[in-house]
Amino acid sequence: MKRWLLIAGRLIIAGIFLYAGYEKVREPWLQFAISVESFKAVPDSWIQPIARILPWGEVALGLALLTSILTRWFALIATLLLTLFLGVGIRAYALGLIVDCGCFGVGNGGAIDVKWFAEHIAMLSLGLAVTIGEFLMARSPKENAGPGLDRETRLEVASSS
Amino acid sequence: MRFLLVLLPALMFTAQAQTPATSLKKVSDTKVAPASNAVASYKESGSPTAPLTMELYTDYECPACRAFTLEVMPSVIKDYVATGKLRLIHRDFRLPQHQFTKVATRYANAAGEIGKFDLVTHQIFLTQPDWSQNGNVDAAVAKVLAPADMEKVRALVKSDSHLDDTAVRDEAFGTNQDHLNQTPTIVIVAKGKREVIAGGMPYVILKQYLDQKLAQ
Repeated sequence: MKRWLLIAGRLIIAGIFLYAGYEKVREPWLQFAISVESFKAVPDSWIQPIARILPWGEVALGLALLTSILTRWFALIATLLLTLFLGVGIRAYALGLIVDCGCFGVGNGGAIDVKWFAEHIAMLSLGLAVTIGEFLMARSPKENAGPGLDRETRLEVASSS
Repeated sequence: MRFLLVLLPALMFTAQAQTPATSLKKVSDTKVAPASNAVASYKESGSPTAPLTMELYTDYECPACRAFTLEVMPSVIKDYVATGKLRLIHRDFRLPQHQFTKVATRYANAAGEIGKFDLVTHQIFLTQPDWSQNGNVDAAVAKVLAPADMEKVRALVKSDSHLDDTAVRDEAFGTNQDHLNQTPTIVIVAKGKREVIAGGMPYVILKQYLDQKLAQ
């Protein structure tokens, strides 16, 4: 059961990152650069590299999370990214900056408001839960012997523990 | 893993190719440039053979348009329009929530008819905080025009339906095809492709973008 919940949580995060990245890569990079700049959090020379690389990074991370390879590490990276996004959002809000976060492309609920915080806290909570769950699961091999593995592997895992 | 190998190139391909199909709900988009989109000539500047064209959609009562026009565009004009790299076309995109933008647009276009478009649009944006309170665009424009010119502008503003209809109708065509919903919005046309970018931006980023487009 725990295993299925973890898989579901990981797929949701994968979907979020895939959607966020896809919405940005289909726009000119200048569009996301405007959002990055509006946070006033990085030097001007960083804006173009961030605007060009981050969307593809989100797509890659989303795809990586879809696989069952190194899941806890990719979940950790996703959680750290979500923490970073929430952090810059809190900073922008505290400074009274008018920003369009551009999180899911232009015009998709970009303003930093209660809804934005609720969404990002929810995403971060899910990311944190999945990351902790994946690390705990990796430490207890018995839990790994779930229905996702074939019979031989389950027996092997069970006998080794 | 095989799934990934198939999905990643497919995603990359659709990211480049799918935009026209999904553009109805999006502001930013890449499309083929229209065959023609008439605009009053006083709204054009720069070389017609420039490798890039920038269509600038603004609303005279929009504070972000004011900032973009007064702070960013002078550098764009100096570095790109005056050097033949960029053709600039101003387009009106009046936002319905702005009470006095229609009258400001009429004054700007009337000034364009007598060859004073740049001077008057600069003044309209400069004095936006004043006339946006009371709608007295006339007083703001009168400060920069000679009395004789001002009378011509007033006459045009009063009687010339062309100021609203022809110019704005042509621009509405662009507005619809680019699916605009905010100002300022720029459309960069390079090699027949239109890229729509919504929102104001500092010159330093826009410069990087234009340089990259010119280098392609």
